[in-house]
This record gives sequence, structure tokens and C-alpha cells, in this order.
Amino acid sequence: MSAVGRRQFRALLRKDVTSELRTKEMLVSMFLFAVLAMVVFHYAFSVRRDVDLTFFTGGMLWVTFIFGALLGLNRSFVHEKDEGCLDGLLLCPVDRVTIFFAKMAANLVFLGVIQLLTVPVFSVFFVTRGYWGDLGALLAVLVLADLGICALGTLLATISMNTRARDLLLPIVFLPLIVPLLVAATSATTAIFAQTATGDALWPRLAFLAGYDAVFLVVAWGTYDFAIGEG
Amino acid sequence: MDAGPAQDSAAAPEIVVEGLGKVFGRRDAVRDVSFTVERGGFLALFGPNGAGKTTVLRIVATLLAPSSGTVRVAGHDVSDDPDPVRRLVGLISHSPLLYRDLTAYENLRFYADMYGLDDREQRIAELLDRVELTHRRYDLVRTFSKGMLQRLAIARALLHRPRVLLLDEPHSGLDPHAVGILDSLLAEIRAEHTFVMVTHHLGKGLELASQVAIMDGGRLVFHQAAAVDERHFAAVYREHVREGV
Repeated sequence: MSAVGRRQFRALLRKDVTSELRTKEMLVSMFLFAVLAMVVFHYAFSVRRDVDLTFFTGGMLWVTFIFGALLGLNRSFVHEKDEGCLDGLLLCPVDRVTIFFAKMAANLVFLGVIQLLTVPVFSVFFVTRGYWGDLGALLAVLVLADLGICALGTLLATISMNTRARDLLLPIVFLPLIVPLLVAATSATTAIFAQTATGDALWPRLAFLAGYDAVFLVVAWGTYDFAIGEG
Repeated sequence: MDAGPAQDSAAAPEIVVEGLGKVFGRRDAVRDVSFTVERGGFLALFGPNGAGKTTVLRIVATLLAPSSGTVRVAGHDVSDDPDPVRRLVGLISHSPLLYRDLTAYENLRFYADMYGLDDREQRIAELLDRVELTHRRYDLVRTFSKGMLQRLAIARALLHRPRVLLLDEPHSGLDPHAVGILDSLLAEIRAEHTFVMVTHHLGKGLELASQVAIMDGGRLVFHQAAAVDERHFAAVYREHVREGV
């Protein structure tokens, strides 16, 4: 990326983060959704107290994050579209891929903040075994899965932004495509929480997540100019 | 940042539109439109709603791709070479293209960074002063009146020192005071830029125009490369457009 491209990337990221910190629309809705989902899971799975929930924890966590991320992704182009600023953005001599990476980075920041706040709460509610020794592995799963969610989500949010049923279209297209990532992230996270994670079991899942990320980053790189379309 | 304009001579055509067509689905929004605007010229483009005026303007601004024909700005083709065109063109529309949750200064800083301006702070201060908004530079744009928004939109459009200004109904929704400020700003910068203005307002368009055109049904039905008086033009407009004025 050129010096001008890096400056444009920083400007786009700063603009999205500043706007969000002022309105807190995405962060508040994502955080509330994540906490409420945990409360619902807590009651739904507490019919019998002797049931060990450890092997459901990965699934509960990633279902919460994926639906929470959807709330944020659906709003990631709201300012551009509703305030007519997309025209202003497309008038600028900026590589469209720079817009993609800045939007994706902003979504990563927001999802990361939510995870930072909710993973400890989730651990208190549902995780019965200590996993301090595997904290690095959990961080790796979170980072790689977040990258895939935000790469795919940002690309699809851009495409759906230009449609009339954008609130419906994004989940309908996003959820089937995110299933492979969900399976890998869930099994890796469950193994970490259950303390059954060995290097041999984790590496293939981490490698799969990295491959998934690479595929959608390349797809976005190649198609974003078309995806963002005409203003 | 140098856009590398292909033609710098004052007499050279700044905007050349040839056989332009735009199709949305099955609808021909623009059909075989051709015109030229000389450097420093001012084209006022009139026509009823849905005539295709805004579509032509958006194609010149690189916001839409033409379906047929060519558009060149300072020698650069808008389809094949859009980035130099984007550096040369500024757009003022009825929508201010500003982020409401950022301050006036933050909005201008964002656009200055997007255009890669080297003298960002100096240019922002100069333009805020010019549109008389220095005292509101750290206020959120969502607190601005429509007139203040439009003044800030003018500052945004002029930030990267464009040679061509595209105006899409710039007076729309403004109160008389804001119209006065906008008109005096346009008169002030009239000599420095080439303009294309889309408007329904005959008086405003004809006041500044060096050439006039009328579009109807996607076609250019009248084009005169000279200024005309309002009374004569109203008759011409009625003759060419079924809706009348």
C-alpha cells in the first residue's frame, strides 16, 4: 500500500471509530445482544444442574459472536448510505480495496471490544475448568475467526448495502457461508474450554481458519471494486 | 497532488461529452447526449424531473459508468482513467455528503486525507474562513442548519482545488439567506472554475451561465453555447419541454 493509501486507510478507520464512539449504536447493540444471549443460554441449559455444559460452550460462544457481529455488520455502511456520504467517498481518488480494508478493520475493532468484554463474563457463567494455560490458543482462535467473520461480513455488507432488502439479505447470504468457520472455531474453542486441546488437535483447525480468511480476503481483493458498485 | 491534466490551455475544452447513453435495467435514462464545456465555462442544464440531468452529472463525476459514448474531463476518460478525473472534479449537490457525527473540522480533515492534501491544516482554515464557519469548526455537523451544511459542503467540494465544479440543484431546500450566501460564494469562485449546474431554477442558472442546455426524456433537446435572457429562454423551454415551466 502506498503512503497515500495508508493515509486514506487511517482516515477511513479513524472516521468510523470516531463516529461509533460518539453514537455507540453498534457497540451498545452488539454488547446487549451478547449479554442477553448468554442469559438466555444460561436458563435454557439449566434444566438439570448435573449436566456438564463444557462441550456446548464453544457453540454457545460462537453463535453469540456471529449473530452479534451481524448486528454490527448490518450497520457498518449506515452512515455512508443514509447520509449520502457514499457519493463523497466514491468521488475521492481512493483504491476501493482500501475502503474494504478500513471498513473490515473497523468491524474487527468493534467485534474485538465486544469479545474483550463478554468472554470473561461467559467464562464465569459457563466454563468450569481453568484455561489459563491455553489463553494464547484461545486468542489465536478469536483473531483468526474474527478476521474471517469481518472479511466475509464486510464484503457482503457492501453488496447488500445497494439492495432494498439489505437488512434481510446480509444474514441470508452470510450465515450459510460462515458455517465452515463456525464449525472450526466452535470445535477449537470447545477443546480449549474442555482442556482436551492438544497441538495436534488445534493446528488443523487454526490452519483451516487461516485458509478461510485467506480465501475471503482474496475474493474481496478481487471483487470489491465491483461489489461497492456505482454510488 | 498533480492530476496530470492532458490539456491545460485556457481555450481547450474542459468537459467533452460524446454520444453519451445510460441504461438502468430496460430504461434509457440518457440517450445520445453530446456537449462541450470550455475551460472557465458555465453550462446550466435544465429540464423536468426524470429528464436525465443528474445522471449526466453523476457520469461526469465518475459516480456512474456510461453505458455508451465517452466523457472526458481535461482529456481524461471517466471510465478508463477515473482517478485523475476525481482529483479535478468537485461535486455540490442538495445532499451535503458530510458525516453528521463528526465535527466540521473532522469532516474536512477526513476529505483532505482522502485527497492526500499536503497543506491540510492551512487549507481547512482558509476554507472555513471563506464559508464563515470558523467559529463552528469543532461543532458536530448534526447541529448545523441547512444553510450552514451547504456552506460546509461547498468547503468540502473546494478542498482539493478542483478545476471543475458540478452543481446538482445546489439551492434546493435553502432559505433565502442561505441562497444569498451560496450565490455570493458561487459568484466569487465563478472565474476560477469550469461549472456544470443542474437546476430547475431558470433565474439562478441563467444568471451565471455562459451556455445553456435543456434535457427531456434522456435527450438533449436544446443547446446554445451563449448566454440567453430569462424571458426568451422561458419561451424556448416551453417549446421544447412538454411540462412547461
